[in-house]
Amino acid sequence: MKILLIEDDHETANYVATGLRKAGYWVEVAASGPAGLMAARTRAHDIAVVDRMLPGMEGVDLVKTLRSERIEIPILFLTTMSGIRDRVDGLEAGADDYLTKPFALAELVARVNSLGRRTRRVGAEIKTQLRAGDIEADLTTQTVTRANRRIDLQPQEFRVLEYLLRHAGQVVTRTMLLENVWQMHFDPKTNIVESHMSRLRAKLDRGFDRDAIQTVRGAGYILRAD
Amino acid sequence: MPIRHFRTDSFRLTAIFAALILGAMLILMAIVYAITHQAFHDQLQNAILHDLDSVESGYRSQGIPEAKEVVYQRLFGSHGTDFLLLETTSKVKLAGNLPVISPVPGERRIPLPHPQTGDEGGDHEIVGQGRLLSPGLYIFAGRDLYVGNSAEESVQHAFIWILVATLLIALVGGMLLSNSFLARMDAITKTCRAIMDGHLSNRIPERGVRDEFDQLVRTINAMLDRISALMENVQQISSDIAHDLRTPLTRLRHRLEAAHSDAVTIEDYRQAVEQAIAESETILTTFSALLRIGQIEGGVAGIALEAVDLSRLLVELADIYRPATEDSGHTLETHVEPGVIVSGDKAMLTQVFANLIENAIAHSSPDGPIDISLARAAETVTATVGDRGPGIPDGERERVFRRFYRLERSRSTPGSGLGLSLVEAIVKYHGAKIVLADNHPGLRVEIIFEKSSSIRKDKASS
Repeated sequence: MKILLIEDDHETANYVATGLRKAGYWVEVAASGPAGLMAARTRAHDIAVVDRMLPGMEGVDLVKTLRSERIEIPILFLTTMSGIRDRVDGLEAGADDYLTKPFALAELVARVNSLGRRTRRVGAEIKTQLRAGDIEADLTTQTVTRANRRIDLQPQEFRVLEYLLRHAGQVVTRTMLLENVWQMHFDPKTNIVESHMSRLRAKLDRGFDRDAIQTVRGAGYILRAD
Repeated sequence: MPIRHFRTDSFRLTAIFAALILGAMLILMAIVYAITHQAFHDQLQNAILHDLDSVESGYRSQGIPEAKEVVYQRLFGSHGTDFLLLETTSKVKLAGNLPVISPVPGERRIPLPHPQTGDEGGDHEIVGQGRLLSPGLYIFAGRDLYVGNSAEESVQHAFIWILVATLLIALVGGMLLSNSFLARMDAITKTCRAIMDGHLSNRIPERGVRDEFDQLVRTINAMLDRISALMENVQQISSDIAHDLRTPLTRLRHRLEAAHSDAVTIEDYRQAVEQAIAESETILTTFSALLRIGQIEGGVAGIALEAVDLSRLLVELADIYRPATEDSGHTLETHVEPGVIVSGDKAMLTQVFANLIENAIAHSSPDGPIDISLARAAETVTATVGDRGPGIPDGERERVFRRFYRLERSRSTPGSGLGLSLVEAIVKYHGAKIVLADNHPGLRVEIIFEKSSSIRKDKASS
C-alpha cells in the first residue's frame, strides 16, 4: 500500500516514513501543502497522513480541498497537542482519523493499518452481526457467542468487543479504544482499558484454550480474525 | 496634539450646532413672516372693499349727499382711513381727506408727503382701491401704509432680537455640550494612551450616570479587565512552564548523562533510554495539560456548547471506571437523577469527572466507597464526587486549584498537580461553580451548574 505523507518537518517526516516503511508500506513524502496537494491529485496513494501546520497551505485547508475535489483517500490528520479545536476542525474538514503529536510510532502504524482496512471495506453495509473467528456479536440484541456458546458481557465490555470485532486482525491501541469507544480524548491515569480488557478476556476465554485477544507489546491488542 | 484636536473639535461642533439652530429659526421666522404679511394684506383689502361697498350703497340709495355722509362718518369713525370722492369731469373733490388724483379704478398706491415734515415719498404711502360709482363719480378708499409698515417693522425687530438670543443660546449651549462630550472622549483617549505607555492598571473613570457614555466606559473597562486577565494568564503559563518543566528536564538530562558515562551493557543503555522516554512522556503530558488549561482559561472561542446528558455521562463514566476501581479495591456508588441535561462540551465535561474520579481513587483508602451523585434543586444542578479519604484541610482547599500545587502528603505519589487546575478551568468555562467540601470524612467535590446554563430535557430533545 502506498502512503502519502505530507509533513514539512524533515526529522518528523523521516521518523514517520521509516516507521511506516518498516511496517511494509511504500511512502512518498511531500514537504509542503501545495506539493502534497499535487501528489494527492495523482490519486496514486491509498492513505494520506497530513500534518496540521504546513508551509503554503494549512493542513485543514488541504483536506478540505481534497474532499471538495472528490478525492476520497482516507486521511489521518496529525494535530498538535495544544489545539483544543484541532481535532474537531480536522474531522470536520473531512479527515477520517486524527492523531495528536507527539505520538508513539506504534500508535501511528496502528492507525494507518486501521485506515487501510477501512478502504477495502468502503461501501460495506451497516451490519447488525459482527464476526471474527468463532466470536459473533449481535448488535441489536447485544448478545455475544463464542463457538455458539453464549457469553454474558457488561455494556462497556460489549462496546470494547464491538470495536475489536470491527478491527479484527488489526492492532487496536489503548488510545484508539479510549477515543472511539468512550470518547475520552485525554490520557486517564487509571488503568480503565486494562481492567475492562482483563474482564473481557476472562469471559471470552473461559473454557477455551486459545486466547481470543492477544496483546501486542508496546502497541495494543489484536482480536484474531480467523 | 490631543488638546489642539480637542479645541478645534469643540469649535467645529459648536459652530455646527449653532448654525443648525439658527437655520431652523430662520426658516421658522420666514414662514411666520410670510403668513402674517399675507394675512395683514388680505385684511387690509377686505376693509377697503367694505369701505367702498358702504359708500357705493349710500350713493345707490340716496345719491351723492348720502355718499358724502358715509365718507365723513367713516373718516371720523376710524383712524387711518383715507377717502376721496371725486367728480371726474371737473376733477372736483366732493369729500375726503386725500388730494385729487386721476380717477383710475382698481388697486393702486398713492405716495403722500409726510404729515409732519412734508417730505415727498418715503414710507408714507396710501394703499387702496378706486371705483367708478357712475361715469362721473369716482371713489377711492385706502389705508395709510405707515400703520401696517410700523407693525411689520416691530415684528421684524422682535425677530432680530429672537435670532440674536437664539444664536447666543446656541453658541453657549453648543460649547457646553461639545465640551462635556469631548472632555469625556478626551478622558478615554488619555486613559488609552496611559495604558499604551504601560500603565496597565489604569481605568477610565465612570461618572455614575446611566447614559451611553458611561456604558461605553464600562464596556471599555470590562474589555481592559479581560485583556489584562488574559495577559496575566499568559504570563502565568510562561512562568509555570519555565519553573516547573525545568525540574523534569534537568532530571532527564542527569539520567542521560549518567547513562552516557556509566552504562556498560546494552541492557543498561536500554533501561536508560526507556527511562528517558518515560520522562519525556511525563514532560509532554504536563506541557499539554498546561497549554490546555491556558486555552480554556483564555476562553477559546469556537467551542460549540451542546446539550449534554449529564446523567448519562456520569452513569457511563461510573461503568467505565468501575472495573478499575474494583481492581484497586474500591467500590463506586452512583446516585444519579436521570434526565439532567446541561449545556456544555461533552469531551471537556467527561474529563472533569474522569479527573475527579481518578483523584478519589488515588486519595482514598479501599474501605470507603466513592460516591458519584447528581441532584436537581430549584435553581441548580449539582454533580458530586465524594470519597472517604483524608480530605483536604480547610485552609488548603483554595490552594489546590493552583497549578502544580500539591498537598504535603501527596508529594511522594505520582501526579502533576495540574488535575484540579484543569477541572477548575473547565468548570469555570461552563459558567459553573466548583466547591470542595468536607465529606465527614473525606473530600466531596461539588460541581454546581446554574439552571439557566442547563437545558431542560423537553427542550433538549425537541
